[in-house]
Amino acid sequence: MAHDAHHAEAHGHAHWDTSIYPFIISFGILALAVAFSFKFVYHNSFAAILSMGIGFPLIIAGIAGWTSEAMGKGEGLSYGAMGWFILAEAMIFVSFFVSYWYTKLHVDVWPPAGNIELPRIMPLVMTFILVASSLTIHYAEHLLHLGNKGGFKTWYLITIVLGACFLGMSVYEWSHLIHQGFTISTNAFSTIFFSVTGLHGSHVVVGLAIFLAGLPSVLRGDVDEGFMRTAGLYWHFVDIIWFFVVSQVYYW
Amino acid sequence: MNLKEWIFTTDHKRVGVLYLIGSIAAFAVAGIMALLMRAELSTIGPTITANPTQYNVWLYTHGAVMILGFQIPALTGFFANYCIPLMIGAKDVAFPRVNALSVWLFYVGVILALLTFFIPDPPDVMWTGYPPYSTITTGNTAMYSFTVLILGFASIIGGVNFLTTVAYMRAPGITLNKLNIFVWCTLAAFVLQLIFVPVLGTAVSLISMDKYLGTNFFDPTKGGDVLTYQNLFWFYSHPAVYVIFLPFIGVVYEIIAAHAKNMVFNYKMVVYGGVGGIVLLAGEVWVHHLYVSGMADWLRIGQMVTTLMISIPVGLMMIGLIGTLYKGSIAFTTPMLYALGVVFLFLIGGLTGIPLAVPSLTIGVSDTYYVVGHFHYVMAVAGTFAIFGGVYHWFPKMTGKMYNEFWGKLGFWITFVGVNIVFWIMMDVGVKGMPRRYYDYAHFPQFEGAHQWMTVGAAILAVGFTIAILNWILGAINGKPAGDNPWGSPSLEWTTVSPPPHGNWPSPPSVSEDWHPYGFKKG
Repeated sequence: MAHDAHHAEAHGHAHWDTSIYPFIISFGILALAVAFSFKFVYHNSFAAILSMGIGFPLIIAGIAGWTSEAMGKGEGLSYGAMGWFILAEAMIFVSFFVSYWYTKLHVDVWPPAGNIELPRIMPLVMTFILVASSLTIHYAEHLLHLGNKGGFKTWYLITIVLGACFLGMSVYEWSHLIHQGFTISTNAFSTIFFSVTGLHGSHVVVGLAIFLAGLPSVLRGDVDEGFMRTAGLYWHFVDIIWFFVVSQVYYW
Repeated sequence: MNLKEWIFTTDHKRVGVLYLIGSIAAFAVAGIMALLMRAELSTIGPTITANPTQYNVWLYTHGAVMILGFQIPALTGFFANYCIPLMIGAKDVAFPRVNALSVWLFYVGVILALLTFFIPDPPDVMWTGYPPYSTITTGNTAMYSFTVLILGFASIIGGVNFLTTVAYMRAPGITLNKLNIFVWCTLAAFVLQLIFVPVLGTAVSLISMDKYLGTNFFDPTKGGDVLTYQNLFWFYSHPAVYVIFLPFIGVVYEIIAAHAKNMVFNYKMVVYGGVGGIVLLAGEVWVHHLYVSGMADWLRIGQMVTTLMISIPVGLMMIGLIGTLYKGSIAFTTPMLYALGVVFLFLIGGLTGIPLAVPSLTIGVSDTYYVVGHFHYVMAVAGTFAIFGGVYHWFPKMTGKMYNEFWGKLGFWITFVGVNIVFWIMMDVGVKGMPRRYYDYAHFPQFEGAHQWMTVGAAILAVGFTIAILNWILGAINGKPAGDNPWGSPSLEWTTVSPPPHGNWPSPPSVSEDWHPYGFKKG
């Protein structure tokens, strides 16, 4: 094949796309990793706070800049990508559950000493709220698809409120248990309990953060449907994982 | 040249070059660690350091940086970034900013790993980080955990990016059966990364949580279990071997097809049997790392069978390589020499691995130099040769210039000799009983001569690698113009100009019905 035709054009001055935000976020993450070492390895709280004071603003500024730079300019591929990302996310939960089952089925005495009776009603209420939020976001997407932007905005906000309620109840639950002397260090079960519910809670936080990142454009009224579908998919994933969490750590 | 357009770039080719620079730098550092260890072992007793912990830190840095900082980023970072969009006729990856994020997270991970040399109480937990040692040592285990987490996250977002890119951004006419073998291999490696890296991330997080946040995952007095870690760790780290193997054998396929000017032998067998078989079996063989850790017999026997079974798809891939050479018009260029070197080294490594799959044989050589020698043949050296060969192969595309063929070949032969001296002797003393990871071998004075030979071999291979890297640098500065397609390959990356502009093609390419990446003209 002959390519002389486009040679001249290609070797001329070309514009190369750049973005500063990935760079900023990466070094923010470096600062947070260093902060952890300062705090827990070298017991230097001042340096740790300093390092976090550098890291967090970098990450937040990076995400904010990235969002405003890229929002609405995607090629509609994020939905497919989110599926792959969820596979990786699910494997984190699988690792925790398998460690839990392995430990639980492997030892002679279970539960280990120091356990307390976990609440039975609260997790059911939390399950109800999270499932409801999954349905509301689905309904919101449905309305958006039909072109009803006002209805979409309403149900979108309801979803955020329900997610925040769930998070608040988790915090209440944790503080309640910690007051009873049941902490992450009590025994192997408490370790699993707090790390699995904490891991799930962190995913709720990320899900809410995604919704909040989309909030300005929703309030403005120029919603990116691809973004909403992707955010909704992640939220459904967080909901489904909760069934595993609640059934394994509360009722088994 | 505009430095800002390089550092903040979102272009897949420049991101790829950033990956290459970072991973070669990591390779140099980790290589120096290996040389320091060899120097230390050249005599019985203290040679260049009297501090065994210092030796441990070298060992940690060598292993962790070679695997996480050099091989995985060079293969799934550099080659994937540079080649995949060009091979499928895309103008870039699906998420260019995410791509830039993954390369800078890689740099951050490497910076974190290199801080090892400057911090008090550096990590000394090997690249494996087994508890209980990692949770009670005074070394900084958090540094290890965060290095792995950050590099792992970088490779997960890279994987998501490339799987999406190949799924949605192929040029018209490029069907699944017309993807380059390298693209197939790398996609499979990314699928493995997505499934298994999170498990490693969890494992290394748990040791830092146990050590610093007071959890009890691995503390038997509170109901935890130490072996959980080893299972989680190897559940990732064995598939990691395939994450490295698949792209590097893909690179070797590209080199051998282009330099033997031949259709890949039995394309569908290689893709569906070889690559597919490895993906299916990769997650069911990890227990062979734990044969002596106290696994139940039924588990050891079962995983012996799966471990032996995985040599079938690997064998199919080797047959594909040999078959591609058959009746090809072979040109013994530098990339081809490296590719043939991989075939040779990988065969030795593969065959010496079979005894290690069988528990009754493994127990005798477990934790000896035999395992180290086998591992270096099959993965470390074979993978590194493929990376070097691949850089030579795509060098004209990246720079538009030609490397020096004489120095290229000389570098190859020196490295090849050095590698075989080091690792053949290593397997030999291993079978005779030399345990691995020892700082001093006063109890085994009979091996001093062999150790000195290995040190000599290490020095030789260092010279060979240095020649290759200098050859690239000099070639990039003042090599002769190479033209757009010096190897005469129909593969799509050679149809654009060298080096390709931003956007790769002035107008999106499309391919004809009878086009194939390995459809060399017979003449």
